[in-house]
Amino acid sequence: MKSVARRTAAAQSATADLFADRARTGVGPCASSGTQAAAVRRTRLWYAAVFPELPEAQAAAMLRRLCLSAQRFTSLVSIEMPNALLLDIKASVKLFGSLETLHADIDAAWRRLALPAYTATAPTTLGALWLARAGKHVRIEDTGSLAGALAELPITCTAWHPDHLQTLRSMGVIRIGDLLRLPRAGLARRLGPAAVLDLDIALARQDAPRRAFVPRERFRERCDFETEIETVVYLQKAIEPLIEHCAQFLRERQAGVQALQLRLRHRVMVETRVCVGLASITGERRRLADVLDEKLHRLELPAPVRGMELRSGALQPLSACSLDAFAGLRGTGRDTVDQLIERLRARLGEAAVYGVICIAEHRPEAAWQRVHELRSGEVGSAWGEDRAPRPVWLLAEPVMLAGAEPYELRQGGLILEEGPERIESGWWDGKGVTRDYYVARQIRGAKWWVFQERQTKSWYLHGVFA
Amino acid sequence: MSGYFVAVKTWMLRESSDSATALARILADARVWKLKTAAVSSSPVWSTGRPALDARLPGGGWPTATLVEVLLETPGLGELQLFLPALIDCQQRADAPSWIVWIAPPHEPYAPALAQQGIELARLLVVRPASAAEALWAAEQALSSGVCAAVLLWLQGSDDRWLRRLKLAAEEGGALCVLFRPERHRFESSPARLRLALTKGEHETQLDLVKVQGGRPGPVECRVSG
Repeated sequence: MKSVARRTAAAQSATADLFADRARTGVGPCASSGTQAAAVRRTRLWYAAVFPELPEAQAAAMLRRLCLSAQRFTSLVSIEMPNALLLDIKASVKLFGSLETLHADIDAAWRRLALPAYTATAPTTLGALWLARAGKHVRIEDTGSLAGALAELPITCTAWHPDHLQTLRSMGVIRIGDLLRLPRAGLARRLGPAAVLDLDIALARQDAPRRAFVPRERFRERCDFETEIETVVYLQKAIEPLIEHCAQFLRERQAGVQALQLRLRHRVMVETRVCVGLASITGERRRLADVLDEKLHRLELPAPVRGMELRSGALQPLSACSLDAFAGLRGTGRDTVDQLIERLRARLGEAAVYGVICIAEHRPEAAWQRVHELRSGEVGSAWGEDRAPRPVWLLAEPVMLAGAEPYELRQGGLILEEGPERIESGWWDGKGVTRDYYVARQIRGAKWWVFQERQTKSWYLHGVFA
Repeated sequence: MSGYFVAVKTWMLRESSDSATALARILADARVWKLKTAAVSSSPVWSTGRPALDARLPGGGWPTATLVEVLLETPGLGELQLFLPALIDCQQRADAPSWIVWIAPPHEPYAPALAQQGIELARLLVVRPASAAEALWAAEQALSSGVCAAVLLWLQGSDDRWLRRLKLAAEEGGALCVLFRPERHRFESSPARLRLALTKGEHETQLDLVKVQGGRPGPVECRVSG
């Protein structure tokens, strides 16, 4: 219904408004280049707020929190490090009555937080920002009067590199107006193209899309028990609604998580934290419940639990395949590989479940690696089929064999069948090998992969052809 | 086994001179267990890559959805060579689960060797449990998950109850389930449908079928290691 209404309204208005409307309601906060951007450039109105007293250490976190409170004025709030926010308020003007009211409303929001702020409104991002930094509490609505207003500002409000500002000052340039009178080419040569671009952006000659602040959501729910819970079984029962809520929360946002944390609160002791990792991003209730169950099952409660809190990790978008409604119907199984891996890891530990890949490397011990990110379809580097045979088992450390000459090995019941294959590599990283590898057969049975260290002439067992 | 046949034969001769009708009557008796028909099962079999061995196994290959037990005198007698052709085959089937899980292998599975043989490493999972109980649990999970084409498990001890659980999980999941155990367990009872022993022979590894449901036990003349 909403979108239809919007479309009708847009159809009635002029073309430029149509573009603006689309840009406003569109999904992407950044205006793209081209005709649409040109139309947007004329219609945007930026409100800048500079917070001079923001503590530097927590600036980023505080700006994020300020963004959240600023989002009730407009959907496009952007952070300008280190201490400013930019709000695109053009679309909100009508809603709040007039620009004066809106501007005053936003200013009041900072005052309520007891946060000193310099604010200004201008049609361009940098224009508004520079005005705010200079402490000019002005509202400029059209690009025509922007250049005049900016010309009065001192050059320090551009926040360019101090060296550049010093260069300008030594040239006698003190205000932006002086800067604008200088020839472009010379300015670009002295200060670099970035400064010229900044000026163009400030004067609305150049479009400058901003990245909108998107709040990072997480699921977090607490649950307090009337009586203390002492056994894990009851805990498993009590956690079910939390998991249900979490799954619903994720479903509503079409998102999944890869980590969960459960905090169990006790009366005296510090809370117990149970961290759960998932093999892939998921929002399915069953999978979350499975993994948490498995973890809880092995948990020994240090003290009775008074309450608990379930927190999700960062929300991540679900891929198309994880939303596949028919995924469970294919094949004979009821689980997916990810579920199996998660269940195994929940009980045996992260490191106990892994895959192996080949690495293009001549040294046998370095030619493979464990991988903990298991994804089907991922192919390690191909191992040439024409290479000499390799044993299925590789010993963690080569085992020294008695004797230095082949006949001595034969006395020990070992016959060299194939070889030698000389492997001489790795001098560059201090783990160099110079070895001759042979396929050897024990007199009754096993086939071994042995090598002779070329320097010491001693023999080692390195693998078993099982 | 042969003693049983002799008994049937003498009884047959004594009872009737007409051997054909006598045989039909014996076969119709519910108490007589018929060797050939018992072996026919619906689950697929995987070729061992050795015609001499295939011929001795009911269905012509490694049975799936049941427990196969391999008793080893020492590790490294070519036991994996026996199963590699089957593992490669079952990974190449497009319409079926294709993951291979190795639980508690005695050494590190060497990736280049497996890739060289044709195993798809992207669908190979290695599990290293801390104890035998956890290894069995992991095997049970892997088998009953239904995503595994084959589960290979190395164990030292013996627990009849666990082996039965393993067999049930294998029947549920339909995968090839191979259990490697030391040869000292040869004379213990086992629920496995197929048991074979690998021992050091005079020149080569000796392969013995210890127990074959629906087949004839005994030594097999075939080259084990490649």
